[in-house]
Amino acid sequence: MVSPSDRPRTRLLTVLLRRALAALVTLWAAVTLAFFALRITGGDPTHSLLAQGLASPEQVAALRRELGLDAPLAVQYVRYLADLIRGDLGESLYTSRHVITVIGEQLPSSLELALSAFAISLILGLSLGLASGWYPRRVFGRAADALSALATGLPVAVVGLAAILAAAYLSRMFLPALVLTRAGGLVLPSLTLGFAASGALARAIQAGLLETSAAPYLVAARARGIAHGTRLMWHALRPVLPLAVSLSALQAAFLLSGTVVTETVFSRPGLGRLLVSAILDGDYPVVQGLVILGAAVYTVTYAAAEIFTLLLDPRLRDVER
Amino acid sequence: MTSRPAHVRLRAGLVVAAFLAAGCSTPPTAEGEVTYGLTLSPTGIDPHLNASAELGIPLSSVYDTLVVQDPATGDFLPSLASSWSVSDDGRSYTFHLRSDVRFHDGEPFDGEAVAANIDYVLDPDHHSQKAAFMLGPLEDVVVGDSQTVTFLLTEPYPPLLDSLSQVYLGMASPKALETWGPADYQFHQVGTGPFRFQEFIPNDHITLLRNPDYAWGPSIYRHDTAQIERVSFSFYTDPATRALALENGDADILGELPPRDADRLERDGAFQVEAVPIPGQPMQFLFNTRRPPTDELVVRQALLLALDRPAIVETVFGTSSPVAQGPLSINSWGFSAASSFPAHDQAASARLLADAGWVPGSDGVLRRNDVGLELTIVAPSWGNNPEVGQLIEAAWEALGARVELRVAPSFGQLKEAQEEGDYNAIGINFFGTDPDLLRPMFSSGAIYNWMGYSDPLLDSLLARAGGSAAAPPERSELYTQVARIVRDQALMIPIRDYVNLVAFQRRIQGLRFSYAGWFPLLIDLELAS
Repeated sequence: MVSPSDRPRTRLLTVLLRRALAALVTLWAAVTLAFFALRITGGDPTHSLLAQGLASPEQVAALRRELGLDAPLAVQYVRYLADLIRGDLGESLYTSRHVITVIGEQLPSSLELALSAFAISLILGLSLGLASGWYPRRVFGRAADALSALATGLPVAVVGLAAILAAAYLSRMFLPALVLTRAGGLVLPSLTLGFAASGALARAIQAGLLETSAAPYLVAARARGIAHGTRLMWHALRPVLPLAVSLSALQAAFLLSGTVVTETVFSRPGLGRLLVSAILDGDYPVVQGLVILGAAVYTVTYAAAEIFTLLLDPRLRDVER
Repeated sequence: MTSRPAHVRLRAGLVVAAFLAAGCSTPPTAEGEVTYGLTLSPTGIDPHLNASAELGIPLSSVYDTLVVQDPATGDFLPSLASSWSVSDDGRSYTFHLRSDVRFHDGEPFDGEAVAANIDYVLDPDHHSQKAAFMLGPLEDVVVGDSQTVTFLLTEPYPPLLDSLSQVYLGMASPKALETWGPADYQFHQVGTGPFRFQEFIPNDHITLLRNPDYAWGPSIYRHDTAQIERVSFSFYTDPATRALALENGDADILGELPPRDADRLERDGAFQVEAVPIPGQPMQFLFNTRRPPTDELVVRQALLLALDRPAIVETVFGTSSPVAQGPLSINSWGFSAASSFPAHDQAASARLLADAGWVPGSDGVLRRNDVGLELTIVAPSWGNNPEVGQLIEAAWEALGARVELRVAPSFGQLKEAQEEGDYNAIGINFFGTDPDLLRPMFSSGAIYNWMGYSDPLLDSLLARAGGSAAAPPERSELYTQVARIVRDQALMIPIRDYVNLVAFQRRIQGLRFSYAGWFPLLIDLELAS
């Protein structure tokens, strides 16, 4: 029999252990999948050599040997796993730079964009969700509803191009000193991405609030004369939070593992563009490094979300033990 | 609304304000600075090791080469080598080097430096993806005295001068190569050219600064030193963002614009658009001469005559792309109008087939001896090949053929389709400034002879033009004969000559490109006051 105060800690430990184990399996599966999928779809550096008509088949064979691409797939796979266990992610096939270096130099830019976009998506998602869920019949509630539908439905590329056009127009008309659109800038990309990512959160909060606001305990709260705002923040919103947190975690993981479209539209460096060019070039070790990073980010974020949800919802702690 | 959401709003405002401030810290384009938009973000930019064409846009102004190619005529002119001689057997090239050249790090340029560059390129541990292959049958580089260096070949190799004129064999400081090694040299490049390499942040930008000490430029440059202090390059990989970047003022110059965007920008008075021709081969489809019915010359001729190639080009590429006239693009060295391909003639095409015994069956498809006129086209997925393939398909169906169009999504799959041999026409082409690129495509049994065509005369013409130490006029004549055979045997369908659609702000002046078409001569760029 554990005392009530011990319960969360034991539960947390279990969660952490289970997560760690699951993480290893996930990583292995992701790496293996990436390893074989890439090699089956083809296109390594020697292919592009052939495509340019530069090298003879003998020269290409020699290069394949030097790059270790001539060995049977199974052998390459075992070699790769063995290196990986030693912490060696290998070198880019194009530049003989370490994969960790290549990824590391794109990471800050991705982090910067992901974190600012995440902050914006939280603020925006929460605001839109609250407005449309708590005031469904007011004008601003309806406007928030429409906006969050747009955020969910519009592709990021469209939002991004529209934002560039709008900013170009604005800066030409009113604010020539504001260089909003410069390649590498952070304002437009994080607004674009934050807006796109806010949709799901806003919809979830809205749906949750619409449901809870009709629940008997809220009617009771209202009858007890509890203020409107307090009812919202302490009574109506609380049951919605676990879902909101899980969703946000999903978004955070998605944003952190690189955002191809936004990076491309705004010509920003980052993991997303690195991933695309590495796949197109057939730079296998870099792709695999990014897959590992992505899987790790997802695993860690999920674990964090799970723990946070446990803290928020005591029922889960009791039931699931 | 209650006070709490108001806090949320306030916080949002602060965050946005902070971002606006961050955005303002990027300085606007200053006088003396030009931003050049690249269309691809290369994985590596060491020209000695990497193969991307994009890297040459900045780096051909960081490096000088032993010889340069005249942008107008394609002739080879002195650069770092003030003169050179080729032995009678074509197996030994001796270069006499300038003595007044210094690398950006202060090191002198000499024969040892040339040898060190070639060693760096050929080191098997460096995995050079282009430069090493451009040296052909190179056996050794012998340093005579500090101002003389000799390239020894195992067999004659006329493309050597062309190779040595390209940025991939640009001369780098041996000290810098040694210091940084193959993994990091790309971030610390040191040449002798009109611009110094300042910085490369992958996927973000490349920056070059003017080299004030430059005093050994080849005669193709109009200025002695660069006219602009700083050139920065950023990457616009998504074609849809390129015209926008120009209109926003983010970029001053941008290449590879989609044709429709180029047309629009040209109508806008603020920009100038130039179609820079790319030498080498046009977009083209090769006929399979091994598989019926294209194993028959008459059928190939009829299929060729049935195509209104100018209409196809205009439909897919607008008005800025020239219609191709043979296996070499019109601006390529070695092209001759004497071997131009026949124009569209539907009646002649139908007549040829009828005379050969093809008659319409009950379903409208042409038949002969109970065999239908059935054709398979394999088109690569890139560069508008599928659209062109569709128009060819439609034209041949109008002629009475049954046509299947297959799209190959990658080079690997294109090669696979070729190996299976299940096609009548297949799209593939190569770029390059030397017409010897025709040899691996049109010689019997050669690696890219995807026509399966074999002709001893063609073989000997190509071998004489490419393999011997033939003089340029003689080579040119040989390539005209090659093109004539290709036309008369109807071995291929030339579609369009490639052009690089470059747009730039009006204030940019003096923008010229190298003979290869992709690389700007940045030294001559000027800004209108």
